[in-house]
This record gives sequence, structure tokens and C-alpha cells, in this order.
Amino acid sequence: MAELTTLDLTPGGQTAHVWQGGDPESPALLFLHPITGIPRWGDALDALAKDFRVIAPYQPGWGPAKDDLPGVRDGLDLVLFNVDLLNTLGVGTAHVVGVSIGGWIGAEIAAIRPDAVQSLTLVNPLGLWSESHPGEDPFAQHPGFPTAVLFSDPDRRAELLMADRDPMDAYVEELLDLRASAKFLWPIPDTGVGRRLMRIDTRTLIATSEHDNVVAGEMGDIWRAAIPGAQSVQLAGSGHIADLEVPEALADLVRNFALEGVTA
Amino acid sequence: MKFHWFHGMPWPHMPDDFRDRNRSVWVDADASLYDPVEGGRLYHEYLDQMEYAEQVGFDGLVVNEHHQNVLGLMPSPQLMAAALARRTSRAAIVMLGMSIALYRPATRAAEEIAMLDVLSGGRIVAGFPLGTPMDTNFAYGANPAEFRRVYREHHDLILRAWQDPDVFAWNGESTKLRYVNIWPRPIQQPHPPIWIPADGISSETWDFCAERGYNYVCLASRGIAPAQAAMDGFWSRIDARGVERNPYQCAVSQTIVVAESDDEAQQRYEPHFDYSSRHTLDDYPGWTEAPGWRTERGIRERARQTKEALANPETPRVPTWQERLDSGSLAAGSPDTVTEQLEHLVTTLQAGHLIGVFHVGDMTHDLTLRSTRLFAEHVIPRLRHLWQDHEDHWSPRPIPIRQPRARTRDIAGVNRWPN
Repeated sequence: MAELTTLDLTPGGQTAHVWQGGDPESPALLFLHPITGIPRWGDALDALAKDFRVIAPYQPGWGPAKDDLPGVRDGLDLVLFNVDLLNTLGVGTAHVVGVSIGGWIGAEIAAIRPDAVQSLTLVNPLGLWSESHPGEDPFAQHPGFPTAVLFSDPDRRAELLMADRDPMDAYVEELLDLRASAKFLWPIPDTGVGRRLMRIDTRTLIATSEHDNVVAGEMGDIWRAAIPGAQSVQLAGSGHIADLEVPEALADLVRNFALEGVTA
Repeated sequence: MKFHWFHGMPWPHMPDDFRDRNRSVWVDADASLYDPVEGGRLYHEYLDQMEYAEQVGFDGLVVNEHHQNVLGLMPSPQLMAAALARRTSRAAIVMLGMSIALYRPATRAAEEIAMLDVLSGGRIVAGFPLGTPMDTNFAYGANPAEFRRVYREHHDLILRAWQDPDVFAWNGESTKLRYVNIWPRPIQQPHPPIWIPADGISSETWDFCAERGYNYVCLASRGIAPAQAAMDGFWSRIDARGVERNPYQCAVSQTIVVAESDDEAQQRYEPHFDYSSRHTLDDYPGWTEAPGWRTERGIRERARQTKEALANPETPRVPTWQERLDSGSLAAGSPDTVTEQLEHLVTTLQAGHLIGVFHVGDMTHDLTLRSTRLFAEHVIPRLRHLWQDHEDHWSPRPIPIRQPRARTRDIAGVNRWPN
């Protein structure tokens, strides 16, 4: 069974709030969450834990790490946070899966510390900008349901993100998670990672969701073209937050690619 | 009691079908609706109104900063303040203000306010608003997760740039400058009075004003009840510090119409309020809450209102004249009526500065001047005595005016300096 623990990282000294699950002897998998953080140990993480030792930290600024946002300035700080986490857990190399803003962070880790990344799966990654395919602005949404645009159907926000939680706490966390995302993606999600993507030499799969309002399908082609040898696929029936909308399909995709090298 | 005259400088020619073609009056409104030639005529008309307010006896003229906004055509309040500095001689020029988080380096704001203070002979009030999400985050791209920290840093840099006699280095997170040494420096020493405008409940702003001794400006556009809640919060912070309440440490804004009678006020002015309300309602909800705009405490305070609004959705509508009067969002009527309404407002809130909004929407020039004149002639004299036992430490301290000579009477600016 999974548990949420708090760790002091070395050598950076940050505090990490991290979900872990699965057999410790299984291949390690670092899960980098989307804009909406990790509302719970959900179906996607549970499905991945059947084949992997899942390590799913809250990035500084999200969820229980909400007060850690001022301590990070940019993508390099986020890379170091995650590398320190693997180091602290004694994990030399991991399969890296990033959804949404987690896709950007995963690409940065693979570009800067290729030795730490065994395979890279980027799902609806943010971090590159195309004027031709801007997508919806995730930060200019109705304050009553601020992340509804991230789902294939706006009603799925209540069902998948807010359900079984204290409504006020869930709403506050939703807005604070968006604040953390804005720190790195405001006002245009051009993080500069495009200048580093050619450095990625690990096996990479780009997945885009069929009904993603924020990351257009064409963005998958742009990411694939920028990363040497990358492949791309489409996830059917999902919006931007694929780990909540199609958890089983996401887990299958990752398992097949990371362990078997299969993208179908 | 001090009286100030505010201008929002709205665009008065919005088509009735604006809402059908645009989602908002702010940020992304169709700019082809703006006519630059008519815009120039309006700027002069609006500045004439402000100069007139000084002539009839107002203590201050108030400008503010908005961006990409149909109802506020003043992206640069300092440009309007510069125009007023040359054409007026007595009134304070209250800048409510410059959005200091947007100026990089912030020494630019320090320099321009110092220039204006020098140009005006020491008549500047420096307002330091946080701004709105529409202006600050969506139009100007300031990161909402960062801008409160940036605001504080810029505030600290501006204050030091005005006061530090030596060249200094500034190694901030937002700004790094090896040599800070601004020329000119403000006439008012140690610096112009600082006013902090806040719309709604903001406990952070109460603390900031109370700690620093700044003037708290309550923008009471939603009526007396929310204004009182805001003012009570501010005064509680003053009380907690063991400081005696001085009404001049706060200002309240109020929309005002004065006519010969109550009926005439409604008859002649109501259509212009309806125009303004109709288009003020046209703001896209997605612009109102940039993520990070509110602190966690602010989110929780706001969430209850959002929840109630969603549970009881009301189609936004233009309030009736009586609803405006009942809520206190408007003081209107004969001089007697308005005097009574405003005396109640400022004594309830304990506000020593009243910022009157006399022009809204598409109000005509003549109606604006008429209401302004009636207020100056019949209302100001009856409220002037309020708070006379308190000293106003929050108004500018200009250098003396020389007696104007006949040939330079209409060039007010030269009258402070020998030639």
C-alpha cells in the first residue's frame, strides 16, 4: 500500500512530501504531477505501482509543499529538487513520467541529468509555445471552477479532482496549485526548455490527449521533432489531466513503453 | 475635511451590442471601437474638468492607472499629473496611483514621482496600489505568484531612492542596480505622502498602512456596508498599535451627483450611471482571479462569497437609482440631501479625505461641471469643519505660491518661482 512521507533531501536540504508505493525491488518510476498536483493516491499511481516502485513527490509549491514556493526560482531548482529526492532514496536511475507541467520538469531532468533517466514519458507537456497552437489559457478561468478547462468535460473536475475531499480545502489547494504553476508558466508557457531538448538522449515518448484544451495535439509533433529519436502517440478520451481522466490507459502506455519499448 | 476630485477617464461611446461581440471591457476589448481623434478631444475635456475642480475649491485632483481598459483611458497617470502640474497651482495631485510592481527598474517610478513633485512645487501624493489582476497580470504580464513580493521590494527601493543621500547598490530578487542615485529628488521631505488604495477587504493592506503610517484609501464603489467593514478592519489595526485614530489617515471614495433637487439629479444623471453600470458588468470572470493574486487567507475569505454567488446565481443587472442610493454606492440629490448622505458616510467611517467621483460613463461636460460647482458651493462649506481638531499629516506640503502677476495669471506653474 502507498504512503505519503516527508523527507529531508541531501545535499540540497529541502523538505519533500512524497507518495511512494509498489515493490521496492521493482524498477523505480518518478511521477511528475500535472498542474492539479496529486489530490490523492489515485488509480493511475496505483496501476503503475503494480510494475514499478512509484515515487510521486509534490513539487515545491503544490499540495502540502505550498509554503515551499518562494524557495524555488526556476526550472533548475526543480531539477535539483527531484535529483536530490532520487539521491536521498538511493535511486540511481528511474523511469520518468511527467504530465502537464510535470512533462516540462521531466524534460529538464533528462536534458540536464541524462544519467538519472532510464526512459522519459511526457504526457500533454507544457513548456513550449507555438503561436499557431496557443490552446486555452489555463490561468484565465472562472474563479468558481478554475481548473474545469483542464478536463475533457468541465463536470469531470468535480468528479475527479474535488470528490471525497473537504470542499473548501480542495478549492484552496486547487487555487494554490494553480499559483505554483503560474510561477513557472506565466504569462506564456515558454520555459526555455526548447533550447535544451536536443540534449535528451534517453528513450522518449510524447503523448497528447484527444480532448486537451490547453496543449493542442500539434504540440506533440513539435516536442517529438525537438527531441532526438522521440516517438509520439495520442491518448483517446482524455483532457489535459490524463492521470485522473484515463488512469488505466496512462499506466498501460507507460508500462509498455518503459518496460517493453512498445508504443502501440 | 478635505475634498478631492477623481477622474476615471472612461470611453463614452460604447455600442449597445458591445456584449454580443466582446467578452470584456478589460484586457481584450475590440480596440477598433476607440477613435484617437475623439480620444484627444476627450482628454482635453477631462483635464478641463479637473482644472475646473481646482478653481471651484477642491483640495486635490485624483488620477489613476489602468491598462487595456475601456472605462479607464489612463495607462500613465504620471502623464496626466504632468499636464495638471502645469495648469494648476494649488490643488494636490493625488496619484492613486502608479502600479509600482510594474516599473522595472522601480527607480523609474521614484524618478517620475520626484519629477512631478518638483514640477508641481511639492503637490504630489504618491499612491501605491497593487493594481488589479486585469491590469497587472493579464495586460502587463506580471507573475501573480510573485507580484506581492515584487511590490514590497519596489516599495522599499523607491523609498530608499528618495531618501538615501548616498549612491547605493540594490541587490534585490526583482531588481539589481549597482548604482542608485536618482536626480531629481522630491521637494517634499522625507518623501511625498503615501496613500494605499484597496478595493474590498484586504487585511494585508490594513497591516501595511498601520505599520508604516500610510493613508488607507477605501474604494467604496460597492456601497457603505462593505466600506464600513474595510474601514473597521483598518481602524482595528490602528487601535491595536495604541495609536490615536486620526481621520486624515484614511480616504474614502464616493460617487456623487448634486443637482438643484433630488428629482432633477435622478432625471438628468441616471442615464449616465446606467451606461456606466451596463458596461462595467461586461467583465470576463476569468480575468478577476489570476492564480496567486490572493494569499491563502484571501482565497478562503473570497471562497465563501464565490460559493454563495454560484449557489444563488443572479444575472448581472443595472441597479435602479433607488438601489444605488440605498446601498450607498451613490450620494445624489439636492445639496441638502448630499450633505446629509456624505456627513453620515464620513463620520461613520471616520474618513478625513473624501474622493468624489463626479464623472461616470458618458456623462456630458456640462452636467459634470454643474454637479461639481453645486458641490463646491453648497456642500463643501457645510462639511469643511469636520475633523478640524485633527492635524492632517497626509496631505502634500507645497512650497508657497508667489502672488501671480496679471500677465502670467493663466500660467499657474510659473508662479512659484522668481524669474
